[in-house]
Amino acid sequence: MSAELPPEIRLGNDIARALHHLPADEGATALATHLKKFWEPRLRRALVERVRADDPRVDPLLARATATYLEGDVDRAEVAEPSGG
Amino acid sequence: MTTFLTRDTYSPEPDLGTPPVPGPRTAHVVIDGVAVDVAPGTSVLRAAKEAGIEIPKACATDTLKAFGSCRLCVVEIDGAKGTPASCTTPCADGMVVSTQTEQVRQVRQGVMELYLSDHPADCPGCARGNCEMQALAREVGVAEVRYGLGGANHLSDRPDESNPYFTYDPKACIVCSRCVRACAEVQGTFALTVEGRGFDSRISASGAPSFLESECVSCGACVQACPTDALTEKSVIELGMPTRSVDTTCAYCGVGCSFRAEVQGSGDGTRVVRMVPSKTGGANEGHSCVKGRFAYGYASHQDRQLAPMVRDSIHDEWRTVTWDEAIERVAAGFTDIQARHGVGAIGGISSSRCTNEEVYVVQKMVRAAFRNNNVDTCARVCHSPTGYGLNQTFGTSAGTQDFASVEHCDVMLLIGANPTDAHPVFGSRMKRRLREGAQIIVADPRRIDLVRSPHVEAAHHLPLLPGSNVAFVNAMAHTIVTEGLHDEAFMRARCEGVDDYLEFIAREENSPEATAAATGIDPAELRAAARLYAAGPNSAIYYGLGVTEHSQGSTMVMGLANLAMLTGNVGREGVGVNPLRGQNNVQGSCDMGSFPHELPGYRHVGLDDVRAIYESLWGLTLDPEPGLRIPNMFDAAIGGSFKGLYVQGEDIAQSDPNLNHVREALTSMELVVVQDLFLNETAKYAHVFLPGTSFLEKNGTFTNAERRLNRVRPVLPSRTGKDEWQVVCDIATAMGYPMSYPDAGAIMDEIAATTPTFAGVSFERLDAEGSLQWPVNDKAPHGTPTMHIGEFVRGKGKLVPTVFVPTTETTSRRFPLILTTGRILTQYNVGAQTRRTANETWHPEDVLEIHPADAEVRGIRTGDRVELTSRVGTTTLHAVVSERMQPGVVYTTFHHPVTGANVVTTENSDWATNCPEYKVTAVQVGVANAGDEALAQASEAVASR
Repeated sequence: MSAELPPEIRLGNDIARALHHLPADEGATALATHLKKFWEPRLRRALVERVRADDPRVDPLLARATATYLEGDVDRAEVAEPSGG
Repeated sequence: MTTFLTRDTYSPEPDLGTPPVPGPRTAHVVIDGVAVDVAPGTSVLRAAKEAGIEIPKACATDTLKAFGSCRLCVVEIDGAKGTPASCTTPCADGMVVSTQTEQVRQVRQGVMELYLSDHPADCPGCARGNCEMQALAREVGVAEVRYGLGGANHLSDRPDESNPYFTYDPKACIVCSRCVRACAEVQGTFALTVEGRGFDSRISASGAPSFLESECVSCGACVQACPTDALTEKSVIELGMPTRSVDTTCAYCGVGCSFRAEVQGSGDGTRVVRMVPSKTGGANEGHSCVKGRFAYGYASHQDRQLAPMVRDSIHDEWRTVTWDEAIERVAAGFTDIQARHGVGAIGGISSSRCTNEEVYVVQKMVRAAFRNNNVDTCARVCHSPTGYGLNQTFGTSAGTQDFASVEHCDVMLLIGANPTDAHPVFGSRMKRRLREGAQIIVADPRRIDLVRSPHVEAAHHLPLLPGSNVAFVNAMAHTIVTEGLHDEAFMRARCEGVDDYLEFIAREENSPEATAAATGIDPAELRAAARLYAAGPNSAIYYGLGVTEHSQGSTMVMGLANLAMLTGNVGREGVGVNPLRGQNNVQGSCDMGSFPHELPGYRHVGLDDVRAIYESLWGLTLDPEPGLRIPNMFDAAIGGSFKGLYVQGEDIAQSDPNLNHVREALTSMELVVVQDLFLNETAKYAHVFLPGTSFLEKNGTFTNAERRLNRVRPVLPSRTGKDEWQVVCDIATAMGYPMSYPDAGAIMDEIAATTPTFAGVSFERLDAEGSLQWPVNDKAPHGTPTMHIGEFVRGKGKLVPTVFVPTTETTSRRFPLILTTGRILTQYNVGAQTRRTANETWHPEDVLEIHPADAEVRGIRTGDRVELTSRVGTTTLHAVVSERMQPGVVYTTFHHPVTGANVVTTENSDWATNCPEYKVTAVQVGVANAGDEALAQASEAVASR
């Protein structure tokens, strides 16, 4: 069950599921941008560790987005947009 | 508009006799020799009042349509026969009116004698001053009653004391029907009627034995309308009439009603006699509900904790301490935690029940004194998807309209909201517009009152299954687009992403037929509803937590914005996308920078130029990275990296989902500080308790669901000796970051100076204008009732393809039912306030509503105690078998901690904002104490159906 997942995987996978309909590159950038815009650094660090450890529970799109985030390839204009929420 | 702030002497709000008539004042009338210009159609009664001429009246009041029954307001009009009632006679240009002729005098005196012949000579209301009869007798010159008091009368009729808040005493009733009309015209409940004929005519509440047993919703409109002592607040009977009043704002739901707090005494001896809704209130225009008008007694409830307290362990007894000791304990504790565990090991949660000024200083304390961005607000668990979704699509985290906009609406699409319970004053406004001919589409798993109630019948009730909102809104949009009902010209001119969106939404997967399995909605009915919404011409969307509290809450908000954009229903009166906010200051708490990634005005902490504004003013460097959201804080606490929390006015141990998880988080922390009125559930896990102030003690502003900033004025002195914002400043100062303000107005001045949206807001401007709807700036100095006129705030509206992704919270053989949660009229949120009032009379416990078919298969009858179990927890409560439910869906509220409904809700949340998915939990229900075997049998029985 998702409740047994560590929060960084559970929350990240939720975002990945919502963005799966996008083309892979676009989805990865959108997810990476979301991580940059909304996630507190320790949550990001925990996710990076999971991805580096090839945790099989990490959604592939989330794993790809994490790499995109690490490369700094996020949508800066979107980060600057007001978001609420 | 005339505004009233505080008055040292008592006088009721002026009553001009009949409602205003809009339009230019082109009718020139002379009344008793005084010339007055009014809009054609204005009553002679109102015109006279505007000219400063008093005409006696009993059945007329300016909140109700003229009725013409009491015959006291008769006048003579040149060229007209007889003595017409001035309340029902419209002014015409050139009319000459006489109000004090001998003929008029004789008619009035004759009528008045008849009234007095059946009115108590010793009427306590007349002596008190809230019954108008003896004053009217004096006004029309009646000193004696020729008929005496010995004839047939009602003077021995017995009063109805059943309602906890008001008394109906038929002895004083003159059957003017003001109460009946208020119940119908203002409240829209139609609970009251005149029973019988002629002399036997009496007011009856639904034909029931008493008011309490009737359909009456205790809104108090009848009490406010009554000109005699027949309907009187029990508080007035007990305390007598008020001696002065203070204008302030209700602290319950997001409607934000304006009230006159009518009081006696001064200083610490001040007593609230009654709360009277203000006719000048922009949100409520003189109406109220049972909570706002009557349920204020919690402010003086014996459970109020008025002194700071500390304890070393949550297992110890509390110890009362001085403010200085409590502040020092908080500051030292947080500082020590940061020294041992890092700057990010502490955070704060602000409250949507507190003022903008109080919320602003909390986020400032966290960012400046805690030196991190670990601040969040209870809006996280209700309307954070509104902020995200409307910002993505329109460019601003707020609804598009004012409440008055509904008066121009032709078709309402109501989804995931139950306004007659949760936003009753706006619900009444909706019902009034529906009686005028507008139509409503209700998309809700339950058959709520707006589906069918007196004089209201939804054009379509779409009982969608919980969790299928996005599939539903896509099917609506698919129908509109594929049937060519969309406004392509508007889309092309005002929106971006048009082609991608049209291609997406036209896909067969989004059709009503393809989505029917998910939504449970008959495709033909859905198509008909979509056509109605598209036809408008003015169609407006109203929604609540049934939209936001889902794993796709943000997607759904964007879907609703799409629907409005593709039909051109944005940017004028009568249309738009309108979130109905749960708490009084949800909008304001979000506006004030309570989210961990945004500074006030929804500006990201990562933006150098925005941070520079605050760094310059506050004299420090701010963290450019987002902080922890509430659920992140809980996870981090359990994970060991988050050790200290300040919680302002939110009972997270009752209101947040998966309470066992919340409790584990709270017990994992070293220092939990709760600031609240009461020792709430969260306080059980706290080490420091700081007493808070009720709305009657606060000085500041609330921002309601229509972006309206209303003043909250202190009616009573603070019972704790401090304002809440002062306590927050004291904590920051003790932690080494000096914070102080001379008064709450100075905090608003800082907000205005640093946030463009509020540039034109100040207490002085609000006192002068009554209220202001943001943005308030050079472009809109008097505020912005309707947004996105001509252009969206973000420029082009953004159409977002909203792919339906089903929730992972699905039913199974073990958990075959879906639980959805909501609110009830008489209780509010976790019930901390309303449970400490007589509102408990109506809802003393949370119950589980279950469809007869689901109940039968489990052997459940109304009144049975049942066990409600999800994969994260179990609770027990009583069942109510109800056909309002659809099979497979059960419903409860979360107003009582003893039930702890959130024990069973899960950690599932909105993908974008982490707003909990309160509305979808897979559960099993069985008779309590039936044992595992019986529960298993129930599951088997359901599975085999």
